[in-house]
Amino acid sequence: MDGPGSGPGPVTVRASRPDRGMRLARLVSAAREGNDDALGQIVTELSPLLWQVARAAGLSSGDAEDVLQTVWMRLVAHLNEIHDSAALTSWLVTTAKREAWRVRAAGRRQLPADQELLAELPDEGPGSEDQVILDDQRRVLWEAIGRLSRRCQDLLRVIAFAPRPDYAVVAAALGMPIGSIGPTRGRCLAKLRALLASGPQGSPR
Amino acid sequence: MMVSDAGGRPSADEPLDDADFGLLDDIRGLFEAADPMPADLPERIRFSLALRDLEVEVARLAAEEDGPVVAARGAEQSRTITFDSESLTIMIRIDANRDGTARVDGWLAPPQRREIEMKTSADSLNVASDDQGRFAFPRVPRGTAQLVVRPAEAGPGGGGRSVVTPALIL
Repeated sequence: MDGPGSGPGPVTVRASRPDRGMRLARLVSAAREGNDDALGQIVTELSPLLWQVARAAGLSSGDAEDVLQTVWMRLVAHLNEIHDSAALTSWLVTTAKREAWRVRAAGRRQLPADQELLAELPDEGPGSEDQVILDDQRRVLWEAIGRLSRRCQDLLRVIAFAPRPDYAVVAAALGMPIGSIGPTRGRCLAKLRALLASGPQGSPR
Repeated sequence: MMVSDAGGRPSADEPLDDADFGLLDDIRGLFEAADPMPADLPERIRFSLALRDLEVEVARLAAEEDGPVVAARGAEQSRTITFDSESLTIMIRIDANRDGTARVDGWLAPPQRREIEMKTSADSLNVASDDQGRFAFPRVPRGTAQLVVRPAEAGPGGGGRSVVTPALIL
């Protein structure tokens, strides 16, 4: 990895992609002009975000798949109204959230009311010593997330999959107040960092 | 310079910094592991978007039920799926054939004659519904499939717009 350790958080495993928004904007205009490959790339890029929106809304995997299919098919009919990355992300998240609520209201195959997703951090099996250290860091973070309010958990979970410049519009699309994240840190992330800094497990270093 | 580290309380009002972005990347990693999107989902979505040039109505999944196991026919469970669009309700029942293919029986409401296409990853099957809105695909290969309900004839009056369902797995 490049760069020094980044503050109090666990090691950053993933290269950041600050140009993601610009890339999406170019893909949107190409898709509007009928470029199927560009549309396909947008699907690949943003489906993981919409998956988290649907799952955070409490849908089963099957229902979440249906919601994603519906959302993308609807997007095609609305492409002409969408001109930049923020509008795209906002439209997709809003539509996914609405569809998810509609499916839930239809009462199909609903998950138990308080599904404890956070109980199940997947075990990736025995690994190298580095892997063990990484696993410890992940567990500390996971437990800290588990101590946040459900609303904060859902917000951070979804935001983590959003293009960086679009955090604020995604938060707004999720019905969170302005300033809940982006450009300022917002309450949820501040709380998480405080938990990580003072948690019983100490600093994950 | 903000002190948002080493015991200092990071404030909610500060701009996002690199530690925040790193944390969000880590959160993404956790949820990718804990609740992964099916890896083939984007591919299936791309499949169903291939129709984008048509002027279509998109039907939404309205209900899905697993039927009782029909032991006598040696079949697996049948599935009944209902799709709603503005103009049309499409209900299909999917049964397993002994040869590994699927049988799909469908009904359109309101009842009407339409041309019905079943797009699969291999090729497309075409049938027509009768006056009662009934149609059947006796043998459909297992895998990704999508229904397209087209106007019966491109005559005066048009017969309505095409309706497509989301892609489903047979």
